[in-house]
Amino acid sequence: MSRPITPPMERGLYIAASGMLAEQVRQDLISHDLANASTPGYKPDRVASRSFGELLLSDTHSGRPIGGLGLGTRIETQVIDMSAGPVHETDEPLDFAVEGDGFFAVRTAGGVRYTRDGQFSVSAKGALVTAAGDAVLGSDGAPVKVGAGGTVAPGAIGVVALDVPRREGDNLFTGTARGAAPGTVRAGALEGSAVDPVSTMVDMIGSLRTFEAGQRVITTIDGTLQKAANQVGSI
Amino acid sequence: MLDGLKTAATGMIAQQRRIDALSNDIANVNTTGYKRDRVAFNDLVATEPGLGGAQTVRVGAGVAVSAAGRGTGQGALLTTGQPLDVAIAGDGYLQVKTADGRVALTRDGSLHADASGRLTTSSGALLQPPITLPRGVSAKELTINPDGTLVAEGKPIGRMALVNVVAPSNLDDAGSGLYMTNAGSGPPRLAGTDTTLVQGALESSNVDIGDAMVDLIDAQRSFQMASQAVKTQDQMLSIANGLKS
Repeated sequence: MSRPITPPMERGLYIAASGMLAEQVRQDLISHDLANASTPGYKPDRVASRSFGELLLSDTHSGRPIGGLGLGTRIETQVIDMSAGPVHETDEPLDFAVEGDGFFAVRTAGGVRYTRDGQFSVSAKGALVTAAGDAVLGSDGAPVKVGAGGTVAPGAIGVVALDVPRREGDNLFTGTARGAAPGTVRAGALEGSAVDPVSTMVDMIGSLRTFEAGQRVITTIDGTLQKAANQVGSI
Repeated sequence: MLDGLKTAATGMIAQQRRIDALSNDIANVNTTGYKRDRVAFNDLVATEPGLGGAQTVRVGAGVAVSAAGRGTGQGALLTTGQPLDVAIAGDGYLQVKTADGRVALTRDGSLHADASGRLTTSSGALLQPPITLPRGVSAKELTINPDGTLVAEGKPIGRMALVNVVAPSNLDDAGSGLYMTNAGSGPPRLAGTDTTLVQGALESSNVDIGDAMVDLIDAQRSFQMASQAVKTQDQMLSIANGLKS
């Protein structure tokens, strides 16, 4: 018979602390979403926390198994919610929105990146560029040229399907391109941020209270430990 | 640990900049040739989380705000009947020379003749190339053709330069409705033939007061949400401080 593991009391401290750390990451993600409530083409995160591996506890006398004990939690999976944001008219000829699935492709210094932010402008060389000055690529993969009247036909801009998009900052995503996407380009319109203010604020409150609960658990265990240290054994 | 606080604060900063731009637009709703101010938002580079998340999770650092040039929409043409008022229909600018000798572009066509008969804009900048009314010719006898040629008493007296640049959104804003060309905008060149002048009219501001007010409400509420995020981050720090009583 294997020697049963003595459950140390402080284990609870670390479990509660891991919960607080996870809520802190969740809160940072929520803050990022709320900060981007007006960023064109922004997509919020959906995260899930997962517990670390479980430990099987056993009775210290008989060695009989009691059951599993989680060892804490952390934010484990992050999925970008690709739901479409609201498309609104801007009447600017070089504003574009992808209606349906797909991304605009842009050529950056680090290679081809993808974005849903269609707030483009024209460069001094007459090319269609993003706010950062990166060339927007057409359906043929070549940079799009702005016509003499200062306009671009929406069909000239490429819409690319992306496998597992990953956030890179600057409204850009990386991922593996899978050819043309079914989405269509609309000129004179921008896709707004897909952040839902109400559910995000509710998540924020929920996360704050979970964090607070973690703190209560730690202070309670701390109180118990204090009693054990000071009162057990005293006459 | 204070990263989240800064992330939330970037949201407030960005919305503040947007409110500034909208305030400027609303203040200039009656300014001749005014084009609305545009801002661009970009989410900030994502980093790895601390102990609370897996290495694959990416936490963004908020938002960056930058200027995105001016709106290009045509303002409504208001008929004034004044012979020296001209409105530009289509893309393009009038070329002027400011008092300090720099060449600038403007869409403000509220022209005047100075003491020596030279045509200037309302801010006192001379048309470039200069145009002088011949002695004895009053403004009322002047005809300005859609292509910019000026005719007085049946004789052409000059031509206003209608110019444009390749990248108008990169023009520097010099105030008083004047724009300066730079390397990013490209040099001024003659505008296309679909850009014309309308005599006896002025181009009003392209700010739509309804849109601007709706945007202002949106910006204000988004600012409040970001400030709530700052408050929540602060509360979390306070709770963490309460761990050791």
